[in-house]
Amino acid sequence: MRKLLFASMAIAASTPAWAEPPQKIDVSNLPAAAKMIDEVVVPVPSEVFNVLDKLGKPRWEDVLRPTEKSVAVPSEAAHTALRLGTVIAEGFIAVEAENTEEVKKIGTSVQKLAKALNVEKQVVKHANAIIAGANQKDWPSVRQELDNTMRDVKEAMTNLDSEALSQLVSIGGWLRGTEALATVVSSGFTKDGAELLHQPVLLDYFERKLSAMPPKYKSLPLLTDVQRGVLEIRPLVGVEDGTQISPKSVQEVGTVAGRLTNAINLKSN
Amino acid sequence: MNRFATFLLAAAALIAPSHAYSSIDDALAFALEAAAPYVKEGFTVREDYWGGDLPVKTTKAIVHQLFKGNEYWFWMGTDEKVAKISVHIYDSEGNLAEVQAWQKPHFAAARVVPKKTGSYYLIVEIEKSPQERTTWALAYGFR
Repeated sequence: MRKLLFASMAIAASTPAWAEPPQKIDVSNLPAAAKMIDEVVVPVPSEVFNVLDKLGKPRWEDVLRPTEKSVAVPSEAAHTALRLGTVIAEGFIAVEAENTEEVKKIGTSVQKLAKALNVEKQVVKHANAIIAGANQKDWPSVRQELDNTMRDVKEAMTNLDSEALSQLVSIGGWLRGTEALATVVSSGFTKDGAELLHQPVLLDYFERKLSAMPPKYKSLPLLTDVQRGVLEIRPLVGVEDGTQISPKSVQEVGTVAGRLTNAINLKSN
Repeated sequence: MNRFATFLLAAAALIAPSHAYSSIDDALAFALEAAAPYVKEGFTVREDYWGGDLPVKTTKAIVHQLFKGNEYWFWMGTDEKVAKISVHIYDSEGNLAEVQAWQKPHFAAARVVPKKTGSYYLIVEIEKSPQERTTWALAYGFR
């Protein structure tokens, strides 16, 4: 699968304008004209939860983890970024659970963590919109605002030359989303549900980003744990597309993601 | 400076602003304009997007994670009105996976209903353009 990530396309070289696209391309052959974009857009948790909702009626209230009234801000920026990611992901779960109070608490927590990362300005309007949307039970707008928050935080961090922190926000969000997904799938196992965990593109991307973290972040033991966890999850979710993921693997993924999410949210850290 | 050189400088000054103002944000605005009708059909448009600029007849490939059970539209935009652009979707084995695609001035789009969860290739291309490099952006939505 790693080959897939770095492979590019062999597209018919002289496709006439408005012509039909080729039915088949060679993904292993890299022609000089084709170039690969390295940047990966990380799916938001609701993109996965949307499928789960179609497969059954998950009990999101059971998956939702109550948020502290006042989120603790870690002393390390890398840790704060990971925590912000998990809190935003919790927001998506709270929206699924349609829990107004939790969503409001999450809106406040997002603002507090964003302030610690010097990106509060970009987040205030979204945090307010999240709280207002929760009061009105306008869940689609809250979901959209959570997505906006994720994008604006990451963009602001990149502008502050903190691209590494921006990646950690994504990774934190992905870990909590994956833990929630594994919990839902384990409680009513289906092949289609388990297949949602098959995310090789993201795992390879996260692994690359974690490996390339600046030394000042890499020295944090939590980051070493996260990187090890991503490597643990990778073989559990299948190498080839269409690979069946077993109930045991789903549980193991949930255990690893849960262990890391807990570590990220430990007060003492 | 001879007359021809003066003419070239003047021409360059006239042309330059159109390049200077051409940005991924403008291209994204067109991509989101293409997306607007689909929002009414229940598609959630992601705030993240891809973008860049490409010479004519050059493709870019983006690997993206799709989930079986969702339906996706990918909308590509450019601020170059007379450019012809395209976006197509292939599965991890290189098979054309889209169920629908269209092209219009400023826009191109493709729809996919993934048969399996995993990695897909999004192929964007500037098929025709009067510019040496044409700015593009690609957004997507799901339901």
